Amino acid sequence: MEDQEILAKFRDPAARNVAFNQLVRKYQSKVYWHVRKMVVDHDDADDLTQDVFIKVWNHLENFRQDASLFTWIYRIATNECLSFLGSKRRKFFLPLNDVGAELTAKIEADESLAGDEVEFKLQKAILRLPDKQRLVFNLRYYDEMPYEQMAEVTGTSVGALKASYHHAAKKIEQYINSITD
Amino acid sequence: MNKPFRLDEHRRRPQPPLAPPPDRYFEQLPTRLMQRVQTSAPSPAAWGWLSALSAPVRTALASGVVLGGFAASFLLSPPATIQPVATASLAQVSREEMVQYLLASDQRVTLTDLAELPGAAQSVPAGTLQASPDELQDLLDTQPTEETYL
Repeated sequence: MEDQEILAKFRDPAARNVAFNQLVRKYQSKVYWHVRKMVVDHDDADDLTQDVFIKVWNHLENFRQDASLFTWIYRIATNECLSFLGSKRRKFFLPLNDVGAELTAKIEADESLAGDEVEFKLQKAILRLPDKQRLVFNLRYYDEMPYEQMAEVTGTSVGALKASYHHAAKKIEQYINSITD
Repeated sequence: MNKPFRLDEHRRRPQPPLAPPPDRYFEQLPTRLMQRVQTSAPSPAAWGWLSALSAPVRTALASGVVLGGFAASFLLSPPATIQPVATASLAQVSREEMVQYLLASDQRVTLTDLAELPGAAQSVPAGTLQASPDELQDLLDTQPTEETYL
């Protein structure tokens, strides 16, 4: 179902639940994996994914369609992830690297990476990046999102996003080469 | 020597190789979300009329409620009692009670206290003094120079 059709249905109180159900089914996988890449842990990703859709439910009526529905939902998900990671750091007085270390420990416990040493190093290198740079890297590298759309999701200029991705890629290569030598 | 790692030469995966969510997770998520939004939604009967109002009307209504609250608290508060001034309450004390108080009290009137009274004495009507100024001066001259208690 097209986004416009979902939005039109949502404005009708009688069809609101059906429209929201269709919206969730359409975007749940993308939102979940977008969040999961940032927080790694499934339970955290599950909580955040639900929070994202609750916010969508609460604010969809006021959605002005300046951006596409997909971009708007991604933006909510992005803000939820950054808030979650920031509050976690503040709650436990953790410096930047310690959250990365915690996420790396979760990656190490994940059996999906067993046997793929290069991929494991790549994931460790990604998790060492600052949250916002990691977000930019994920959107570009895994989601292959165009820079213009990334700019709408993150509220950052295209030039700054390109520079951020370039720096992230260099940091990853340097880290992997340093632990391989 | 190992070939240096280059990101653009690495086989790109569509997703990071994380463990998939539990079975049927995406089938159940819409139902769980619908349960959450239904329980968190406010009762339309209670606040539906408020949301139907326009923003300016809601603002005016909220202002009216606040002002009404102030007015009600002002009107319903008990009137403040005015404390009688000290001079008014002293005027109700009889002369006998004052004398008894002064005799029983540890506080004594000294010559120094009397010497500081001329300002007040000027306001005392002349008729209340049963002596001429010369007689008063003679009486004062007979008093000892050392301070004594009355």
